[in-house]
Amino acid sequence: MKIVYNWLKEFVDVTATPQDLASCLALSGTNIGGIENGPHGAIIDAEVGSNRPDCLGHLGIAREVAAVFRLPLIFTPPRPAEDSAAKASDAARVTIQSPELCGRFTARVIRGVKVQPSPKWLKDRLEASGVASISNVVDISNYVMLELGHPLHTFDYDKVRAHAIVVRRANPGEKIRTLDGVERTLDPNAAVVCDGDGTRAVGIGGIMGGAETEISFSTKNVLIECAWFDPVGVRRTARSLKLHTEASTRFGRGADPEMAEVASRRAAELILQLAGGELLSGAVDVYPGKRSPKKIRLTRAEILRVMGADVPDKEIEGILGALGFAPVRVDDNRGAEGSLLAAWECVQPSWRPDVEREIDLVEEVARIRGLEKFPPRLPAARQGALRLPHYEAEARVRERLIGLGYHEINTIPHVSEERDALFRPDGITSARIANPLSEEANVLRSTGAVTMAAALEWNLNHGQRNLRLFEIARHYRLSLAANGAELHPVETRVLTLGATGEAREKGLYDSARDFSFADLKGDLDAIGSLAGGLRWEQGGPDWLNAARRGRIRLGEGEIGAAGQLARRIAEKLKLRQDVFLAELALGPLYCMYYGVKNSRRYQPIPRFPAVERDFSLLLADGTVFDDVRRTIQSLGIADLVSIEAADLFRGRNVPQGKYSLLVRVTFQSREATLTDSQVADYSAKIVAALEANLGAQLRAG
Amino acid sequence: MSTDSKTAESLLALGVARPEEVAPLFAEVRARFDSAGAAVHDEAAWKLFRDAWLGRKSGVLTQITDNWLKPAPPELKRAVGAALNDLRAHVEMQIEARRVAIESGAEQTALARDRIDLSLPGVIRPVGSHHLLRQVFEEIEDIFVSIGFSVVEGPEMETPYYNFEALNIPEHHPVRDDMDTFYIELPPAAAGKPPGQLLLRTHTSPMQIRTMEKQKPPVRVIVPGKVYRRDNPDATHSFAFHQVEGLAVDTDITFCDFTGTIEYFVRQFFGANVKTRFRPSYFPFTEPSVEFDVSCIFCGGSGSGASGVCGKCKGAGWIELFGAGMVDPAVYGFVGYDAKKVSGFAFGMGIDRLAMLRYGIEDLQVFFQNDIRFLRQFP
Repeated sequence: MKIVYNWLKEFVDVTATPQDLASCLALSGTNIGGIENGPHGAIIDAEVGSNRPDCLGHLGIAREVAAVFRLPLIFTPPRPAEDSAAKASDAARVTIQSPELCGRFTARVIRGVKVQPSPKWLKDRLEASGVASISNVVDISNYVMLELGHPLHTFDYDKVRAHAIVVRRANPGEKIRTLDGVERTLDPNAAVVCDGDGTRAVGIGGIMGGAETEISFSTKNVLIECAWFDPVGVRRTARSLKLHTEASTRFGRGADPEMAEVASRRAAELILQLAGGELLSGAVDVYPGKRSPKKIRLTRAEILRVMGADVPDKEIEGILGALGFAPVRVDDNRGAEGSLLAAWECVQPSWRPDVEREIDLVEEVARIRGLEKFPPRLPAARQGALRLPHYEAEARVRERLIGLGYHEINTIPHVSEERDALFRPDGITSARIANPLSEEANVLRSTGAVTMAAALEWNLNHGQRNLRLFEIARHYRLSLAANGAELHPVETRVLTLGATGEAREKGLYDSARDFSFADLKGDLDAIGSLAGGLRWEQGGPDWLNAARRGRIRLGEGEIGAAGQLARRIAEKLKLRQDVFLAELALGPLYCMYYGVKNSRRYQPIPRFPAVERDFSLLLADGTVFDDVRRTIQSLGIADLVSIEAADLFRGRNVPQGKYSLLVRVTFQSREATLTDSQVADYSAKIVAALEANLGAQLRAG
Repeated sequence: MSTDSKTAESLLALGVARPEEVAPLFAEVRARFDSAGAAVHDEAAWKLFRDAWLGRKSGVLTQITDNWLKPAPPELKRAVGAALNDLRAHVEMQIEARRVAIESGAEQTALARDRIDLSLPGVIRPVGSHHLLRQVFEEIEDIFVSIGFSVVEGPEMETPYYNFEALNIPEHHPVRDDMDTFYIELPPAAAGKPPGQLLLRTHTSPMQIRTMEKQKPPVRVIVPGKVYRRDNPDATHSFAFHQVEGLAVDTDITFCDFTGTIEYFVRQFFGANVKTRFRPSYFPFTEPSVEFDVSCIFCGGSGSGASGVCGKCKGAGWIELFGAGMVDPAVYGFVGYDAKKVSGFAFGMGIDRLAMLRYGIEDLQVFFQNDIRFLRQFP
C-alpha cells in the first residue's frame, strides 16, 4: 500500500517529516518497505500485514497516525446532494441469494453523467499510487478504494439487464469474461454478481467486474456497487483463479461492511463533482450480514499479566479511543486512577475484524504506547536445562570424526527419485514430494549415502580430490506401523561417511598413500569403540563393491554398511576415482554408548611384564585372520592378552594360493612374571592348533 | 732418545743422579705436553690426548710415577715428587681448559648443522571441522541452556494439524499462502493404509504444540532443526533452511521477560554493543507479535557504508532478525493449558541468516554445497 504523504495529511494534521512518520509507523506495527520522493511528494511504501485490512486505505493509516501522535482524525462521512425525486430503489433491484458469500450489497444510481478523462489532481493521485488512469468514473472507484480502503465497482447502468442484480454462487464450470478481457471458469466457491434473472454473470464478487457491463466513454448512467464479500470465499476464488486484484486483497483480508455504504456515498459525491449527472435519492442496501458490534472487556490485571509493566489510565483510554474502541471504565473503582481493578468495556469497530479478544486490546495498547516502554528482564529458570538425550554421545562421535580428519557437511534432503533409487534398499517406501519444485528434488533421501555421494561429486567436479566428509542427519521413509495397517513417516538419524583420494598426501616427511577400505574400517572402528566395538560381516548393499564391502553389526543388530562405491554407480555419477562410503544408524550406537560408558570400570594396570611372541604363518587364501584369532582363543589360555595381525604379504617366496601372515600374540599374567617354559608351552599349543585346525604352516624365522 | 720413550725408562737408565738434573727433564716433558695440546681441536682428539697423559694404566703421568718416582733413590725422590706435582697440576688444568675451548667451538658447528628450520611446517595430521551451521547451533544452544532452556527435537514430516491448525492457522488463513508448503505424496492404499496428509514442516513451531501436549508448565525449550518452504533457491533463499524455535510458558512470564531473554541472547551472540528494537508485527500464534531488529553489524547502525549507503541494511541502520511474540491464548486451547493462568513467549529464528550476518556470507547456497574449501575455513 503506497501512502501518499500529502493525501494522508487530509485526514490527520501531522507535522512530522515523512521519515519520522515512517519510523513511527514502523514502531507501532505498520511495516515500512521504504520512502520515495517523487513529483507527487513523499510516498511511503507500507507493507500492511494480512491481519490489517483497515490499513489498506489512507483513512486507516491516518487513524494509526492519529493514535500514535494523539491527533484528531479528520473525517466526516460525505453527504452527496440527492435532489432527484426518483429513488434508487425504483431504478435498481438487488437480490442476494448467497448471504454466506455476500454479506452486504449497496447500489446507487447516477443519471446523465459525462464520462471523460480525469482532472490532473486525480490522475496525479492515482499515478502516485501506481494506478493507471482510465476515465473519471472508473478512476473515482479506484480513488475511493485507496482513500477509504473499500473496493467498489461501477456498472454501465443501461447494460445491466432489467436493472437487476443477483448475487449467487457460481455454477460449476460457469464462465465469465472479466474486465481484463480474459474468459475465466468459476467453481461454486465463487460469488458471482449477475444481472437480469440471475443467469448472466457480470462480475466475480469481490475480485473483478465483467466486460459486458463495464463503463465506457459512451456510458450515460452509472450504477455504483459497493458491497461486502466473505474473506475466505474471496481468497479461495482468487487463489483458484490465480487472479489477485486490489479488490480481492482487501475483501480477502476482511473489509469493513459498514464502510460499504460510506464509500458508495463518497464515490457518488466525486462522480457528481467530476462527471456531473443526477444522483437518485437513497440507495438499495441489502445487508443480510449485519451484526451488532461486539463488546470486549479489557482489565489492567490482564495488561500487567501479559505485558509485565503498567500503562496509565489516560494512555489506555487515549489509545483505545483514537483507534475507535470507545473505552468506558466499568469497574467498581472507577474514578480511582491507576486502580489495579480497573476494567474498560470497549466496542469492536467494524473495520477491525482482527480485534475480538482482550489479548487483542492488550496488543493495541502496547503497540501504540511503544514496546520500548516495557523494560526487559531475564526470567528465572525454574528447572534444570537438559540437552538432547543423545547430545553427549553425538558430541563424542563428532569430535572423534573431526580428529580423524573428517569434515562435517550439511545437505538438503531433497534428491531426484532416480538418484535415490540407486541407494535405496529393496522394499522401502520413499517419501516423495507431491509438489516438488523440480524433478531434481522430488523425493526425500531414503539413505544418507545418496546426498553424501552428491557432496563428493560436487568437490571432485570442483578440483578437490582428497576428501573425508561426514554427515549426521536424518533419512526419510514411510513404513508400516506395528499394526501393519498404516503407513507412518519414519525419520532415522544416521551417520554417513564419504572418502576419496589420498589418506595421506605427499609431504616433507611422508610419502602419499591412497585412502583404502582399511582406512574406512579403522575410522569406523574408532567410532564403534565408543559403543563397545563394531562387528564386521561379509555382505552389504549392492551399491557397494562386492569385493570391498561389509555389514556392520553392533550388539544384536545390524546398524549399517561400509565399502567402496560400486563401479556401476561410480560410472553413473562420473566419479573417476575410488570412492568409499559408509552409513550407520546412530540410535543403536548412542544407546550402546551410554550402556558401555555406564558399565565401564577401572582395570588395575598389570604389575608383571607382558611377553610378545610372533608367529609367521603360511595360510591358504580363504583362511581369514578371524579364523586364526578364534583358533587361538579357543585354547582358553588365561594369560592371553591380545592377538594382532602384524604383517601380511603375498608373492615373492610365498607359493600361489597362499599368503603369509605374521601374527603377534601377547601374554601377560596378573599374578606373576611368566617363565620361559610357560611361554614356550603356550606357543607350542598355538602352533599345534593352527596347524591342525587351519592347515597353517609355520615359516622359519 | 725421544721424550716419549724417556718416561718408559728409569732415572737410573736416563743417567739422572742429581737433584738439579730433574728440572730440565720435567721441562722437556712439559714442552712435549704443551705442543701436543696445541694440536688438539676436537672432542675425539681431546679424549685421546687426555687418556695419553692422564690415563690410569699407561698415561704419561702414571708412567712418570711408576718409572721415575717410585724407583727413585732417596736423594732424588723429593725433587721428582715436587716436579711431578707441578706437572700434574699443569696437565690437569690445561686439559680442562682445552675441553672448555673445544666444547664451545664444537657446539657452534653442531648447532649450525643440526638446527631445525622453524619455518618449515610440522608433520600435518589432517583434522576435520564442524559445519559452520552446526557451530552456530551449538553456540545458540549453549546460550539458551545457560538460562534454563532445554533442547528438544521433532519430526520434519509433519501433519497439517501441528504445522498449522494447532498454531491458530486454520485452513484458508492468509498466512498459509505466505508459507508455500511441500506435501508428501500419499502412497497408494495397496502398500498399507495411507497416512493422513503429511507435509514438510514450514517452521519449527509444531514442536511448541508437541512439547506442551507432553508437559505441563513450566516450559522452557528451544528446538533446533531443518524446515522447508517451497521457494526457488537463490542467494538468500533455499527450500530447506534451519531454525531454532524457543518457547517459555509459565504462570508468570510477561512481555518484559520475553524481550529480556531475546536481548540477552543477542548480546551473547553478536556482542554487547549491539542495539535492539522490537517492532509490532503479526503472527497467528503469537499476540502481541513482534519483529526483532538489531542495529546493523556492518555499519554499526549508522546506515552509511563505504560507498554512501550501507548495502547490508540499505541505509536503515537496522537488520530484521526474526519474528516472535507472546503465545496467543488460542494456542493454549489446543494443548489443554488454561490461558487465564499461564502466559509465555515464543520465537523462531533463522539460523542460516544469523550465520550469514555474523560471518559475512553473501550466498546462502554455500551452506549446502559443502565445498571443502568452505568447510576448511571454519574449523
